Amino acid sequence: MLRGPREYWAWLAALTFVIIVGAASYIEQLENGLVVTGMSDQVSWGFYIANFAFLVGIAAAAVLLVIPAYIFHRDDIKDVVLVGEGMAVAAVTMAILFVIVDLGRPDRLWHMIPVIGSLNFPVSLLAWDVIVLSGYLLLNLAIPFYLLYNRYRGKEPNFRLYFPFVVIAMFWAISIHTVTAFLFSANPARPFWHTALLGPRFIASAFASGPALIIITLQLVQRFAAYKVSRSVIETLALIMTVAMQINLFFVGAELFTDFYNEGAHAASIHYLFLGLDGYDSLQPWIWFALALNAIAVVILMIHPLRRKTLTLNIACVLAFVGIWIEKGMGLVIPGFVPTPLGEIFEYAPTSVELSVSAAIWALGALIFTLLAKAVIAIEQGRLAERAT
Amino acid sequence: MLFALAVCMINVPAPSTNAEETSEPPGSVRFEGYPDAPAVTVVSRKKDLFFYPCSQCHGNMEPDPRIRSLNVMHVSELEHGRGRIWCLSCHDTEERDYLRTLLGERVDFDDANLVCGGCHSNRHKDWTFGVHGKRVRNWQGERTQYDCAHCHDPHSPAIEPRAPMASPPVRAGFEPPRRRTAGTEADQESAKEAQ
Amino acid sequence: MTANSGSGNGGDKFDQARRNFLRGIGLGTAAAVARPAWGGQTFGDAFAEFFQKNYQRMSAEEIEAALERIERKAKRRYEVDINCENTPPQEGVVFGYAINISRCKGYRDCVHACVDENNLGRDSQVQYIRVLQMDNGDSNLEHSEHYYDPETVPVEGKYYLPVQCMQCDDPPCVKACPVDATWMEPDGIVVVDYDWCIGCRYCMTACPYWARHFNWTEPEIPADEMNPDTHYLGNRPRPRGVVEKCHFCIQRTRKGRQPACQEACPTGARIFGNLLDPDSEIRYVLANKQVFRLKEDLGTEPKFWYFSD
Repeated sequence: MLRGPREYWAWLAALTFVIIVGAASYIEQLENGLVVTGMSDQVSWGFYIANFAFLVGIAAAAVLLVIPAYIFHRDDIKDVVLVGEGMAVAAVTMAILFVIVDLGRPDRLWHMIPVIGSLNFPVSLLAWDVIVLSGYLLLNLAIPFYLLYNRYRGKEPNFRLYFPFVVIAMFWAISIHTVTAFLFSANPARPFWHTALLGPRFIASAFASGPALIIITLQLVQRFAAYKVSRSVIETLALIMTVAMQINLFFVGAELFTDFYNEGAHAASIHYLFLGLDGYDSLQPWIWFALALNAIAVVILMIHPLRRKTLTLNIACVLAFVGIWIEKGMGLVIPGFVPTPLGEIFEYAPTSVELSVSAAIWALGALIFTLLAKAVIAIEQGRLAERAT
Repeated sequence: MLFALAVCMINVPAPSTNAEETSEPPGSVRFEGYPDAPAVTVVSRKKDLFFYPCSQCHGNMEPDPRIRSLNVMHVSELEHGRGRIWCLSCHDTEERDYLRTLLGERVDFDDANLVCGGCHSNRHKDWTFGVHGKRVRNWQGERTQYDCAHCHDPHSPAIEPRAPMASPPVRAGFEPPRRRTAGTEADQESAKEAQ
Repeated sequence: MTANSGSGNGGDKFDQARRNFLRGIGLGTAAAVARPAWGGQTFGDAFAEFFQKNYQRMSAEEIEAALERIERKAKRRYEVDINCENTPPQEGVVFGYAINISRCKGYRDCVHACVDENNLGRDSQVQYIRVLQMDNGDSNLEHSEHYYDPETVPVEGKYYLPVQCMQCDDPPCVKACPVDATWMEPDGIVVVDYDWCIGCRYCMTACPYWARHFNWTEPEIPADEMNPDTHYLGNRPRPRGVVEKCHFCIQRTRKGRQPACQEACPTGARIFGNLLDPDSEIRYVLANKQVFRLKEDLGTEPKFWYFSD
């Protein structure tokens, strides 16, 4: 797994460095408490949960490879579906880690285990999230492991055995992101989130940002691992991404209209986000920047020749990924807390500790993905196989 | 507790508006209290009254019932009622250690609520049922309440503004947010000017 | 005698050595369990505290042991002898609270009395009560001023709205908690098990009244200001990284005493009592005054009313 060219080593070393620096920051957080973050009673969730919400979407987007591969029998996509599931594993792991580093008492994590602890299932949406994320991780480890192990052993996997789990995984993927959306939208205390549209918005933005990452990653895999990725895979994903981005922007427009046409007190948060409130406007440049990125990306994608050209497609992917990360991360979580339910405006900015720990988790995700992809590709290519006795 | 209740329940058979003519002992009033009123113990204040018993000084003075402007030693100005009442509206003319109701009934200083309630009947009803004024000691069991004069100086009952306690802190490491313009000294002054 | 069936002189000496060894291990373990480790806490206490169950599942003995651990910990941490109790709810009592906003003048005496009574961390800067200064005629909370600091209160043209945990009958925070660390007790108080809370702060997100607060740092309480009469679910010293909130002074009210905020209020604006007692002051307020609750339309059914007269 660790054998490879110099770039590979440099990549692993760089990731490890970021992880170590972030680990040191996390230790500082454990020693001093969450006071080292920028969060407060007023804005009690911040950068960590913003990344969590975004990454659950990325994890769910693996289903966009699973469905064409197993339901529509697209062989070209079948070749890369396990790489996609490796990305899902990395994304879910990152999401879970972001929740853990956000906890005030990570030493009490065992309280969430049913029976031994006391999990408030099915009433608490967070309990649901724990179950669905753990289940999704298991599914995305078990199914590829089963398939790859058989390939490794040179055996044919039993379709009747794994296909039901694949179908479960498809629905499960939608459920992880719906549950995460419900986590936010279940709160009438937070009018910014308390909309039925939040679930659909999450899915749409996931199906835009997920393929963006997959498209970039598959090209990197092709380049660095010499693994053939058919052009048709990229084109299918790009098409899905185009439609999803259009829907996502339509949803944003719907939110803006509904809140601003007859602007009441419930629109205070979206007013803060887009226009500032009472002179507080730290998020305003970010959201407009994100919207601009998304708009440029969707225009590029809607122009066929540009979508088909690798360079412009990649630009669109990067713009979309960053734009949605801003809009769905900080642009979703922070305005829910501004103003507070008692009308106070208190702003938030992540501290260096939060940024360092977050970078470490992203690096860890990249590391997990790299190692998994390497193993998957080696087995798929037959380079890694049980030697016949 | 029972004493207060008893005071409320005793009937005066021959009421008279002239305090000098009543032959009833001080402390009995015609007012029967409110139906279903709970039993209430009033916290005594007499011992805290600096000049009490008033007869120490006033015992040697002749009663003078004429309404006039008084320059008294211990009440500089009566800021109560804007001219509708004066000292002997509430203080008994002859027996200076007692107060008087509208009917001229003599009432102990610790039963001042019977006097105040003569005009401020809505408040008095609220107070009787515990929703005005202050209950002390327990929420459960025996009800002990402050009398009206505990909080309201009868010669200047309006409660004066005072400084508030410290405003809320913010989490360690943050600057306090800037206030909205409301509630600052500038606002107070401009509000006064607007009056 | 040991179970060793060895015999002979050599065997006896070996048995004795083994007995000494085992006894030494036993004593050593006992000493290790009792010896302070983990920042001053004994290993036994640290172990027991880690595996302590959710309050709702603990037996009476386990709760007793937990109370004693809390007292020992407070002694070590703050050098104060406290008494931690587990007074049960009274039968036939559900607490309700009402504030007369015509009487409230914005002094904030209630806020600071609460800080003292409930051992709120001075450094973690949690305050359970927040008094809002509102413009007359305006009930929009977004126009409120939280940090008012004029020369005197009340300010002309303003009224004051103290807000704290509403002890809702349908509490969104209880639904939100993933580990059942917060629930409503039979006497209506929504409580937090500070030793079970994992600090995810989802309950803070769910609360429409901004009533729940988090210990971002270790609470600092000066030893001479510590209130030693505590309750497990109430004002006992809390650790870092957990959520806490107003609990209607459970350590006082379950014994018939007034909550500290009511006791401190000089204007008598606060009315507290048993909603199930038809003769209580709170019931009189609900029957005879024009009461309202905050954010009534959210359906949380707060047990905290406001009225004016």
